[in-house]
Amino acid sequence: MGGVSVDSGGKGGRRALDSEINMIPMIDLLMVTISFLLITAVWSHMARLNADAQVPGPPQPTELTNVPPEKQLHIEMRGADKFVLIWKQSGTVISTVDVPRKDVVTVEGTTRVVRFPDLAAKVASEWNTVATHKSESDTKFDQAILHTDNETPYGAIIGVIDAVYQVHRPYKKGSKVESMPAFNMTFAVN
Amino acid sequence: MSIHKAGRRLMHDVPLKFVRKHVTGGGGRGVNASLSLTSMIDFLVVTVVFLLMTFSASGETPVSKGVNLPKAENTLDMIDAPIVSITGSQVMVDGAPAGNTRAIEEAKRLQRVDELFNILKSKRELWKTTHPGKDFPAVVVLQVDQEVQAIVVKSVFQTAAFAGYPNVSFMVNSIPKTTH
Repeated sequence: MGGVSVDSGGKGGRRALDSEINMIPMIDLLMVTISFLLITAVWSHMARLNADAQVPGPPQPTELTNVPPEKQLHIEMRGADKFVLIWKQSGTVISTVDVPRKDVVTVEGTTRVVRFPDLAAKVASEWNTVATHKSESDTKFDQAILHTDNETPYGAIIGVIDAVYQVHRPYKKGSKVESMPAFNMTFAVN
Repeated sequence: MSIHKAGRRLMHDVPLKFVRKHVTGGGGRGVNASLSLTSMIDFLVVTVVFLLMTFSASGETPVSKGVNLPKAENTLDMIDAPIVSITGSQVMVDGAPAGNTRAIEEAKRLQRVDELFNILKSKRELWKTTHPGKDFPAVVVLQVDQEVQAIVVKSVFQTAAFAGYPNVSFMVNSIPKTTH
């Protein structure tokens, strides 16, 4: 038992030609490997959502002086019933759109996941009509800035950032066309 | 009670001899049954291959006790950067205490967390000393419970930016994308 028979097919010899390979050490090894891999397995996948503080860095030697200010999408999350999307260019308001706030809440394990699919759809349509960096050869992001009130739970903030990062656009990487987020997110502290 | 000859008694009353032989398991079948190991080894090998493919040698990013991270779909891979966690009102940098947020919660206004500022600043100086001539990545990862108020997140975010870490990432649990 626990062996694999190997018939060598010889004839006329004195010793038995039907030998067995002992499979028990191999099964033991496989079992130990499986146990090790199961114990060390990482089942929860940590990831991150990027945001930056838009703080000016050190001066660059090749810094351009006459760069026209870019359009920025400001997302106001101050009301309980609506988001306000405001496109601004150097302080001038270009357009304003209200989006009714519909929180889609699901519970996964112990975590309450908040999603804003309507906001994601509206941000995508706004990007299509107003945004600057649409060309496939342009690898720069359009800027989105999130403003919240002080009581908003962090989970809802992540829901909004996730909705904004849902908007993707194609860009050329060599001969290939790949997908990248349309916006870079900034979290405003005011 | 009469004395009987020793012998098998169980199912002795079954009348027909060939039926009795069948139901009592008698007959010419051998006691030793060989077990086919091929399918079992196949299964084990497939399991080992699957687990090896999903194995992560870098290990798990430590999550502070009591922090219930939010979940998000459109995420980026984790990077190696200082981790600032907020557990209750305690702020920690890479597991070491770095102030608390009680004053911010009570005052309900934006404040700098001085202890966090000093620790991050010294970490930045240390990095620059140990990596001369290289560009500082200026990235910090925030590990915040999903119920923490925005004012606390804003204060920690701004403190990190002032300490020289303007690129702030929010740590989340990655979930598969849903189709809307």
